[in-house]
Amino acid sequence: MTEPVLDVQHLSITYTVGAGSFPAVTDVSLQLYPGRVVGIVGETGCGKSTLAKAIPRLLPEPPATIGGGKVVFRGTDLVKVSKRQLPMVRGTGIGMIFQEPLNSLNPAYRVFDQVAESIRIRHYRDMGYVKTFQGGEVPFDYSKRPTETVASSLTKPFVPDGAVGEIVRDRLRTRSDFRKEVLEYLRLVRINDPETILDLFPHELSGGMRQRIMIAMALSEKPSVLIADEPTSALDVTIQAQVLTLMKELIDEVQTAILFISHDLGVIAETADEVGVMYAGQIVEYGPVAEVFHNPRHPYTKALLRAAPTRYKSEGPLSAMAGSVPNLSRLPSGCRFNPRCPLVQPLCREKMPPLDPVVPGEVVVGGRAHASACFFQSEVPNLP
Amino acid sequence: MGRNPSDLIVFIVKRLVQLIPVLFGVIVLTFFFTHLDLTNVCNEWYPHAGAATIHNCEASVNQPLLNQFWQYLINLLHGNWGADVYGAAVYPAIAAALPATLELVFAALFLMIVIGIPLGVIAAQYSGRWADHLVRVFYLSGWATPTYLGAVIAAVFLGPLLGLPSGGEYSTKVVPFVQYTHMSVIDAMLAGSLPYTVDALEHLILPATVLAFINMGIATRMTRASMLEVLPLDYVRSARMKGLSEFWVLYKHALRNALITTTTVLGITAGGLLSGTVVVEEVFLWPGIGQYAYTSIGGGGSVPNFAGAIAVVIIFAVAVVAANLIADILYGVLDPRVDWR
Repeated sequence: MTEPVLDVQHLSITYTVGAGSFPAVTDVSLQLYPGRVVGIVGETGCGKSTLAKAIPRLLPEPPATIGGGKVVFRGTDLVKVSKRQLPMVRGTGIGMIFQEPLNSLNPAYRVFDQVAESIRIRHYRDMGYVKTFQGGEVPFDYSKRPTETVASSLTKPFVPDGAVGEIVRDRLRTRSDFRKEVLEYLRLVRINDPETILDLFPHELSGGMRQRIMIAMALSEKPSVLIADEPTSALDVTIQAQVLTLMKELIDEVQTAILFISHDLGVIAETADEVGVMYAGQIVEYGPVAEVFHNPRHPYTKALLRAAPTRYKSEGPLSAMAGSVPNLSRLPSGCRFNPRCPLVQPLCREKMPPLDPVVPGEVVVGGRAHASACFFQSEVPNLP
Repeated sequence: MGRNPSDLIVFIVKRLVQLIPVLFGVIVLTFFFTHLDLTNVCNEWYPHAGAATIHNCEASVNQPLLNQFWQYLINLLHGNWGADVYGAAVYPAIAAALPATLELVFAALFLMIVIGIPLGVIAAQYSGRWADHLVRVFYLSGWATPTYLGAVIAAVFLGPLLGLPSGGEYSTKVVPFVQYTHMSVIDAMLAGSLPYTVDALEHLILPATVLAFINMGIATRMTRASMLEVLPLDYVRSARMKGLSEFWVLYKHALRNALITTTTVLGITAGGLLSGTVVVEEVFLWPGIGQYAYTSIGGGGSVPNFAGAIAVVIIFAVAVVAANLIADILYGVLDPRVDWR
């Protein structure tokens, strides 16, 4: 098996507000591999967005603190990286698409300037004009090709490690070079008439258009990890479908590792290869999408799937899960789902169930085996 | 979509038309306030003059006030700003004094922008920490300083301490070149004289610094407040996620949007600065419009110069309106979502 690009190991994140502290994410582990999509699904407040933002260290610290664990990216633990080095990691290593396309673009700059800025950051790193990420325990090995010196790059054309295709490009010198490059990325995200869009301000664009530009910006840095934090949730349904189609097409085209966060089971089912189901800050079930959704082994996943409206189940009232999401400051002892669980036993109130493989003996770490954090996972299929 | 450059022209013309009633109001108010009680002023004005002069004076003073006003207005529209009691015309005096003041105000504004705004950014960046408190102490002490006190301390103590001159525009009374613009530094530069340029700059530093220090608070405070508003926004997070260093995130993405409010406030302050230079000009013997205003209303034991006083008030009114207009234009330049209306 190849090395994971991003290896999250036992990550815990706590928010401290006043005197109280809230464990938003507890002991989460997952691995991302090139060309594979890992979905994270869960209710609002389950910690999935916190997890997504914690990976590139975007969470404001304080109030958030990373309580423990590692985020190993290309051999370096991002939890230990200094603030000064973070831009280098974010610039070309990890890209992110956010939930709120309406506010995620700077209102004061034209589309061109914002996309070109991303391209420039990546380009300058490629050319060796800007310091690349050094430090951590292992020196950061950017792109695994010999770094060009500034002098040699001035005369020699270079081949970028193409996420978009094997296009040989010269050094970008002029505004029109950047313009060509920006246009290329706007076409990549299927924007019609990119020449016009280029010179518009964000407030002159629709939500779907802005999200496409956000995607273009993230991709233009050729990240090896792309985190999509509810990229379609804030859009209306028709636009949602368009952006989702685009995302699916891009997933096949660009061979990056993708972490796809959504509360929408359907979106995850369509895009992800593997899925982690989060509840109260923990991953309670993990495995290949088809297996988790067709043969859930955690009572929470089962209930979640039952509550999801589908077009085949239009008759009768929608079913809702009993109880509510626990308050993070007063979590139940033992399994966090126990107050709402139909299978609850005294054991569940005493001990936290580990994430155990469904087929005994399968390796959970590595991220491909179906696993569930339930003592009575074999009884879950018998639930209504 | 987007804005038309002609929108801006229409906007400026509209605002200039609005200036007319403002000016008329200002002229009416100052004229009648200065001319309400003019009994027995002629002997005071011309203590050593002959009977004929006194007679002429009384003849004009005793005319109906509306007639006098009408006469003044007609003269003004013909470009005649009147004269003081000695017959010295107001217009050339103002034409020489106003640029000197503008130079002082622009220098102070420059300092407020290049020091005050970054201080606001730093205060927002480290809000609640010692850097923030330090900045607050700095601008509050400026704000709390009375102008006369700050000016005197700077002129008497700071000047000698730093070896900077604290009076006048140049070290010599007479300069060997033509003062085309009446802005000391620019005139010296136009004349191509490096020593005089340096000399003029040295003379400018203290009064401009005092003016800037006292008014800096508004720029710093507004920048800090709007930066704190902008920093948690999503697009700042996107900029950070792009891999920009904190410097570019703050100064290119956040400050650009935070400046919108600061600019508006600075525009209003700039208008106020112009009329607020009276004390600073008096202390630093700066031959600006503040000094002219001071003598025109009889300051320093001089004979009141009504025409001069009205002219100064008109200029201040125009300055305030113009500063606001420029702030409004910049507001639209900085924020593409705003239409010039």
